[in-house]
Amino acid sequence: MRTLKRGFRSFRRHPLSNLIVILLLFICLTFSLSMLAVKLAADSQTEEVKQRVGNYGEIRSSSSFQMAMFEQERGRSEAERSREARTMTEEEELEERTRTLVPEELTDDFSREPGIVTYDKVLSTGITVPDITNTELESILSLAKGQGQGDGMMGGVTANTFYFEGNTDGASASDFMLGSKVLIDGTFYTYADYLEANPVVLIEKYHAEDNELQVGDTVTALISGESGKDAEVELEIVGIYETVVAEGQAESGGFASFNPAGNKFFTPLSVVQELNNTPGYVELGSYYFDNVDYTAELQETFTNDYADEDRYEFVTDYTEYEVISDPLEKVGKTSVIGLVGALGACALIILLAMAIIIGGRTRELGVLKAIGATDRQVITQYAVEVICICLVSIILAMGATAIISQSIGDWLLTESEVTETQAEEEAGTPQAMVSRFMERNLYKEGGQFVLTESDTEEAELNVVYQGNLLLYGMLILVGISLLGMAVPVIWITRLRPARVLSME
Amino acid sequence: MQEILEVKDLSKTFKSKAGDVTAVDGVSFQARKGEVNVVVGPSGSGKTTLLYLIGSLESPDSGEIEVFGEDICHPGTDLIEYRRERVGFVFQFFNLITALTAMENVTLPMDLADVASSSEQQRRAVEILARMGIDKRLQKMRANKMSGGERQRVAIARALANDPDIILADEPTGNLDTATGKVVVDILVNLAREDNKCVVIVTHDESILDVADSSFHMTDGKLAGNDA
Repeated sequence: MRTLKRGFRSFRRHPLSNLIVILLLFICLTFSLSMLAVKLAADSQTEEVKQRVGNYGEIRSSSSFQMAMFEQERGRSEAERSREARTMTEEEELEERTRTLVPEELTDDFSREPGIVTYDKVLSTGITVPDITNTELESILSLAKGQGQGDGMMGGVTANTFYFEGNTDGASASDFMLGSKVLIDGTFYTYADYLEANPVVLIEKYHAEDNELQVGDTVTALISGESGKDAEVELEIVGIYETVVAEGQAESGGFASFNPAGNKFFTPLSVVQELNNTPGYVELGSYYFDNVDYTAELQETFTNDYADEDRYEFVTDYTEYEVISDPLEKVGKTSVIGLVGALGACALIILLAMAIIIGGRTRELGVLKAIGATDRQVITQYAVEVICICLVSIILAMGATAIISQSIGDWLLTESEVTETQAEEEAGTPQAMVSRFMERNLYKEGGQFVLTESDTEEAELNVVYQGNLLLYGMLILVGISLLGMAVPVIWITRLRPARVLSME
Repeated sequence: MQEILEVKDLSKTFKSKAGDVTAVDGVSFQARKGEVNVVVGPSGSGKTTLLYLIGSLESPDSGEIEVFGEDICHPGTDLIEYRRERVGFVFQFFNLITALTAMENVTLPMDLADVASSSEQQRRAVEILARMGIDKRLQKMRANKMSGGERQRVAIARALANDPDIILADEPTGNLDTATGKVVVDILVNLAREDNKCVVIVTHDESILDVADSSFHMTDGKLAGNDA
């Protein structure tokens, strides 16, 4: 205890030299801890992004296949197409209707691949509901008729056409998951409704008001390509939802965000399949993986085992992940370099400082030994002094880190994003714009008619004080203290007081 | 008088690039309590080495150093305890810890030996310093602010802190003017006469021989004879 007190008194008795060492250490430690804080924040946020972005994929009919089909159809006359339609068998008709769809069997099989944590399948299509009027569409069609374009019908779409979206569970439809639509009355249809093909439906609030419909009422929908009484399906309204983000009103606007069929009807997938007359087929299979690390592996598996010679494609949001994670990873790497450099400087400072301090007090060491101090007593005294120096430095550095680490993080992130400007310039080229026009949004992002703000998400670095920073700070403290102690330990154990005391 | 220190055939050789140097060569002598023992000789004659050997700051190549009949060169001897309790050093260059006050310099050996409470250490230090003529103002002064004479008196007080039987003084007047040197020598003599200490002084100042109870001349590591 007395030795500890002596060490502490010794620390106080040399304020100037200790202050210089503390100041130098403080600068390097602040830089080290800031870099560490930035590294920890970048790593933690990259992990967080891994769970949120880039771990989503969809199986759907490939763009190249659709383009080839389009080219093939374009080369045939209307007469040829009509003649062929008349001679088609039922199987051929089904094949014709499902050409741009994906077999459910395929999406089900893929859902069993390792790493996939959730799976849904979706089919959306325009369906005629003769009893009610799509007021939004009616006004558009009237406008077109007034301008002499069509006779209240555009491309097979009438004021009784509604856009139906089906999946396996109403609550997990992307619009509801994202919050762009909210259920305000009734209940969602369930997975059981999907399995049993219960004819239930969710409708939009204004459609319900315009047509005086409420939960419990029924509407009649027609099966595509069928006629007569057998073509009618009675759908019970089980829920009414409100649109929070109106379709076609997303910030980017343009064709891709325009929904000609207005707001949707949501029904179990099996019901939409029946109404669309495409049993066993879906528009897309929607998958979430455990994290982004599975993406490449699943992509490869799909290409090898499921793609059917590019007829189907597996589309992911990995590019979005890269946009966010790349700068964060660069920041992480840069901060590690900074951390290593700063810690090296800390080590050098403490070694040199202790060498200078001990060197300047060689006579004192000799005297202490001559008057009966053990090596252990002298070493402990100097160890306390080193620890005091390091402790004060690291406490100050911790405080300074809390103030400046966010600025350092922001600066590093800005530096990392400089290279992104080239990519941004390329994004402005006509080719890139055409490419974007053709690109469909992922179902995850709210379906092809809704663009959400997630499209514009960028990397951000929030450097917050984490508990493990304190832990690492303590480790650094122990490390530099031990390093600092090495000098007096070596010096003291090798010191011969007789030599020192004889010096003038 | 009781014989407490006996040096028998002591030798010490230092190895250097220029060759081996025998600093102490077969030295033997005895010293008693209450006596001032002076070793005189020119610079480089080996007298400081002899003193450090007696104080266990150096280990001899051969020979014995018996203190109260016990050989301190024996491997089992606790040399730390020996330095703390049996000997007190006074150096030519004082060798006080300059960052400490006079009082702290004197309490330091007691603190290291973990003897007495802090207040008891202070009481003893005040008493010893007062005997050395260091007043209260000087007691609180840092060593680096003091004159040479004051420092040497504080150094003697430090040597006495744990009440050792042997005081080893290496050129105690070497860095002092004549008058101050005389004061310091008088103090050392009084320690022998009044406190019954065994005082061993090594010096090249032959005037100190006047106060010696026994004296030795040292040349080239050898004691030339007992002049007492």
